[in-house]
Amino acid sequence: MRFHRVSAHLLVGIFSSASVLASAQTATPASVPDLVIKNATVMTASHGTLEHGAVWVHAGKIAAVSAQGASTGAPASAVVVDASGKWLTPGIIDPHSHSALSSDVNEATSPVTPSMMMIDAFDNRDKALYQALAGGVTTELLLHGSANMIGGQAVVIKNKFGLSRDAMLFPNAPRSIKFASGENPKRVYGSRNQLPSTRMGNFEVMRQSFENAKSYMAGWDAYNAKVAKGDKAATAPKVDLKLEALADVLRGKLYVQIHCYRADEFLTEEAIAHEYGYKIRAFHHALEMYKVAGQIAPENTAIATFSDWWGFKDEAWDAIPWNAVMSMRKGVRVALKSDSNDHIRRLNSEAGKMVRYGGATEEEAIRMVTLNPAWIIGVDDRVGSIDVGKDADLVVWNVDPLSTYARAEKVYIDGDLFFDSAAAGFGTPHFTGVMHDGGGFGSDDETAEDGD
Amino acid sequence: MKTTATVTFLLLAAALTARAQSMPGPSAPKSTTLAITGGKLLTVSHGVIENGTLLIIDGKIAAVGMAGKVVVPRDAVVVDARGLTVYPGLIDPDSTLGLTEVGSDQNSNDLAEPSDEIMPHMHIADAFHAETELIPVARLNGVTNAVVAPGTDDSVAGQDIFIQLAGANRDAMILGRDVALAMNYGAEQRRRGGRGGGKSEFPSTRMGLITQLRQSLLDAQHYEVSRDAAEKKTPDKASEKGDKADKSDKPFERDLKLEALLPYLHGERPVVVGVYEGYDVETFMRVAAEFHLKVILNHVTRSQEILDEIAAWKVPVIVGPIYEMPRANERFDAVYTLPAELAKRGVKIAISSAEAGGPGGAHSVRNLPYAAGFAAAYGLPYDEALKSITLNVAEIFGFGDRLGSLDVGKTANVVLANGDPLDVRTEVKQVYIAGVAQPMVSRQTRLRDEYSK
Repeated sequence: MRFHRVSAHLLVGIFSSASVLASAQTATPASVPDLVIKNATVMTASHGTLEHGAVWVHAGKIAAVSAQGASTGAPASAVVVDASGKWLTPGIIDPHSHSALSSDVNEATSPVTPSMMMIDAFDNRDKALYQALAGGVTTELLLHGSANMIGGQAVVIKNKFGLSRDAMLFPNAPRSIKFASGENPKRVYGSRNQLPSTRMGNFEVMRQSFENAKSYMAGWDAYNAKVAKGDKAATAPKVDLKLEALADVLRGKLYVQIHCYRADEFLTEEAIAHEYGYKIRAFHHALEMYKVAGQIAPENTAIATFSDWWGFKDEAWDAIPWNAVMSMRKGVRVALKSDSNDHIRRLNSEAGKMVRYGGATEEEAIRMVTLNPAWIIGVDDRVGSIDVGKDADLVVWNVDPLSTYARAEKVYIDGDLFFDSAAAGFGTPHFTGVMHDGGGFGSDDETAEDGD
Repeated sequence: MKTTATVTFLLLAAALTARAQSMPGPSAPKSTTLAITGGKLLTVSHGVIENGTLLIIDGKIAAVGMAGKVVVPRDAVVVDARGLTVYPGLIDPDSTLGLTEVGSDQNSNDLAEPSDEIMPHMHIADAFHAETELIPVARLNGVTNAVVAPGTDDSVAGQDIFIQLAGANRDAMILGRDVALAMNYGAEQRRRGGRGGGKSEFPSTRMGLITQLRQSLLDAQHYEVSRDAAEKKTPDKASEKGDKADKSDKPFERDLKLEALLPYLHGERPVVVGVYEGYDVETFMRVAAEFHLKVILNHVTRSQEILDEIAAWKVPVIVGPIYEMPRANERFDAVYTLPAELAKRGVKIAISSAEAGGPGGAHSVRNLPYAAGFAAAYGLPYDEALKSITLNVAEIFGFGDRLGSLDVGKTANVVLANGDPLDVRTEVKQVYIAGVAQPMVSRQTRLRDEYSK
């Protein structure tokens, strides 16, 4: 387990020592019995839909998947859930959420704040987590807001509502950092008569930051070279948390997640990434990707976009609901995301809209809220589809999850039941006590000083 | 920016042309007959007709029935609707269409006047921008009519209009001016941060809001008495009394603000009050009873504990947003189930496109059917869900004789779609407004097509 803490990553970055890393607390208790969910319509998200399918869960992992009523080979002691007439999907994954961050989404006091760690604001009892869980959401990337060109570092959680903060962290998830561009940074700092107040200013702030990081890295390289030569008198440069984080971007140790709307800005961002030698994992919002998808696809940069939001600001004026499917057809990996404590509760039917806007197949649509967001977060080898060996993050739905009428009935994470709509009270086997009201809608602009 | 503005203007011009071409102009034939055949008709008022025929003559529904039971005139233009679902145009009971273009651009917004809390003399008809790009976007998903209401900043925000989402110009699109008075009560209207920023001003509490409202309604009643008295004294009669009387009688000065409240004090038209918390609903309803206001409740998303009381008042309710988030420590479906719970108690409900958080508002009007579908997912009978965005809305706002169902004599606002209208996967194929096939294009379809080449 690599905690997303400043202390831990610095030690890794500077001393390359793993011995001090904390260990995970997320192992599924051995007492959890095997589980078989059978007779469901299984949307695997990776290899089609299986009629009369069954899934065997052993030790929190998917042990077998079968179709047409075939046996999974599970032992007779397994708990059997008959899901006749129901649908089964992988857990829904939101690659862009600001839920449960104690209204501390933006450190909007400087356009460059890469050493901010979102885990420090994470409130594991926020009601938004529960409400998302009841919508089938099992994994979330909790991002810094979009006030800053270079924001803070994300935390990846599994939505095990009711467990401790540390038990909700996604074990060994890659580190991500949030960048932003366009209207938000220029508005936030421009309104204070500070740099940046234009897109020119925005991008120059970024370039200068990476120049500073290069100098910082050169200083450490020179020092390490002296030490290697046995120079006992060598003086170590100052450890600078901000420059260290930027250096990790240049070292390729952070996945870069960029809030970006306009076609021209995707091109500029890719050009800067090439100039400084890092990769962009995903553009978030990305409402104009349909205009340049052919150029972006070879970069292997994904998008995390809205289904049909538009017109709320100038840079969302050219947004069209066909964006996701048009971009997908040009070879861009497409995920849908919420950026909202409301929409996170129904990402499944947001995916359903993609059937209507551009003719996505049901598998393509469900993949936009499961396997593709898993790739953006960098955990697609462990979650996001119903495949043997993956974490048993599963949702039982009353009807086809892409329809308006879909309700999540049961939500399993690592094979353990975390939400059951038929249960009394909140329907949360692991949660008792008092939820916190984080307040707000959990959107990007939230708590930027100039309002929402 | 200049370039963008030019492009926008050109596209706008194209949209106007398209709209104008779609409407019956002076050169349009005097009589048109349209027969939509073979579709599954969701009449809303009298059930479902499989393989039905809908006859439209001169923009009105002339016949509805099973194939074979409806005679299709020889001169009718026949539209083959086999495999399609045919239903009345959807009606949004609470939108800001035509009052906003780009959410963050204040120049394009005319939502509310926050300089005072009592603004009944704000007429939405004066701000309604008929050529907004938002209307074709909403229309493409089958929304044919809407109430346009002001923003929620004020206790009394202004007077709503009822529109159809097509027409040669503003006047052709506004079916009713000043159809209802938009009111609000709750935490949001308190002037804690002054009026548009600054230090706290009166009314900064609920006590202040209600006292101010009560005083305004009393002032309006007093005004009416004074006005009526002044009207009895005609100028001719006054002059007969001689010079002395003339000097003491100043000409009566009209007060448009107070005058605007009178039709509502007379109960001639409804007030729509936006209120969320149960205790706020109860407070407002006491004032409403004192002044005999004809109330339509809006929202009530945090009033779960007084649903029986609401039912006893026998007032219609625009319930939602269904996506409003429950409070901490409420069950996840505390709001999802509200439409069903109200309908179960016999309340006439409507559902609006309003959304909680996110951009919401006028840009999301196209998602109106999904809100109703979501209510159905959480227990609202399907027929009630469809009614809540068609016939119920028409009836609540006084258009029940003209709109909201597939019935003979009603305006032919009709939608053809490839499936269940409330399902997100369903695509609307054709929209008719007053019997005229609308161009199935918007600024968004043009962008799609341009970048699909």
